[in-house]
Amino acid sequence: MSNVTNISHATVKERPVTTLDQQPARAEGRKDPWSQLLVKVGKSQDRQAYHSLFEHFAPQLKYYAMANGMASHADELVQEVFVSIWRRACLYDWQKAAASTWIFTIARNQRIDMLRKMRRTSVEMPVETEDLWQIPGEDDNQPITSLHRLMSERRVRESLSQLPEDQITVIAKVYMEQKSHQMVANELNIPLGTVKSRVRLALSKLKVILQDQNV
Amino acid sequence: MTRHHPDSLTLMEYSAGNLSEPHALCIRLHLDKCPHCRSQVDTLDSLGAVMMEQQPKVSVSGSMFDDILARIDSSPEPKPRSKAHPKTDLLKKLLGQDINNLPWKRQLGDVSVLDITGKFPGQNEQVVLQKLVAGGKAPAHTHRGTETTIVLQGTFSDQNGVFNQWDFVVLTEQDEHKPLALGSEDCITLSVLSAPIKLTGTFTRLLNPFIR
Repeated sequence: MSNVTNISHATVKERPVTTLDQQPARAEGRKDPWSQLLVKVGKSQDRQAYHSLFEHFAPQLKYYAMANGMASHADELVQEVFVSIWRRACLYDWQKAAASTWIFTIARNQRIDMLRKMRRTSVEMPVETEDLWQIPGEDDNQPITSLHRLMSERRVRESLSQLPEDQITVIAKVYMEQKSHQMVANELNIPLGTVKSRVRLALSKLKVILQDQNV
Repeated sequence: MTRHHPDSLTLMEYSAGNLSEPHALCIRLHLDKCPHCRSQVDTLDSLGAVMMEQQPKVSVSGSMFDDILARIDSSPEPKPRSKAHPKTDLLKKLLGQDINNLPWKRQLGDVSVLDITGKFPGQNEQVVLQKLVAGGKAPAHTHRGTETTIVLQGTFSDQNGVFNQWDFVVLTEQDEHKPLALGSEDCITLSVLSAPIKLTGTFTRLLNPFIR
């Protein structure tokens, strides 16, 4: 593979941790076409790349907005997300997240922010949406975490296809329709415990639950 | 060293953006110090992205991209905060000062409280800070509804174990406990009390997304 040399360059600044798993994972990050486009937007304000991202993600984002009850503000949400993508692309680091994950978190935060602003009274909000939902940046000397992020993206996509339909339905309602586990239970007319066990089964198959430390 | 973590299902509701602001604050404060949970949330965010990708698509109008470009060109680009944005002290931002210098209200014996519900306008939960003086005991008590607590300073213990700074605890009506502040520091916690209020109508979710 021709970009192997690039990969070793990219890791120079970090601790020289080399494991067998590491290079394929980094290469996977490189290969993801959306992440490459997003890097171009960030580095050189590439409008062609930006347009390609728009064509791919805008229809997903519009569905996301409509599914969670923001139908009348769906276009507004898509626009807000894309303006954000343009302005923040220079902060995007492909080694820390795939473009789709990065864009999902922007969409989630914008949705929360729009809802907060819609229901805002005269009172100022002392805490901003970003304060509550933006995960603190990792230190650059933590390659393990970056590695984990890249692995997780690929693993989630692969193993999601193997989940039974009833588990996917529940997860879709939580992520796309913003329903609490209780609301999902009410809607599907099944006990809350069943919803929770479906989620737990799915999360353990997706290896989200690495080890259950909770009692 | 954090040993008590939020449940994976709660982390999922956080990643999906379904938690109320006070609950999100508890999770966010924990994530700040807990690489274990942070990596779970990273995976959950990927799950959100993959879910979005696998759902139906809705076409957008052809002119929208031009509208976006027009917006980008018309407003001068605000420089986003630099890559290494300094870690803002979220608690200090929220409370205006160090947690030790707050106008605490002495409640019972060794316990002081400060209700900060007002910091979360439009939310349907009670948010309180509680302080147990170093070495002090709180009287045995139960909880109303579900109480989500994160330890902000010091250590306390009860029959369920020892809870250190940034540990996460969820107690229900069934849990009676008698906390004891260990060590030489006052133990300060942040608690969110979900009153199980049933609301109906369109805005239910907006007002109280954490009804369980």
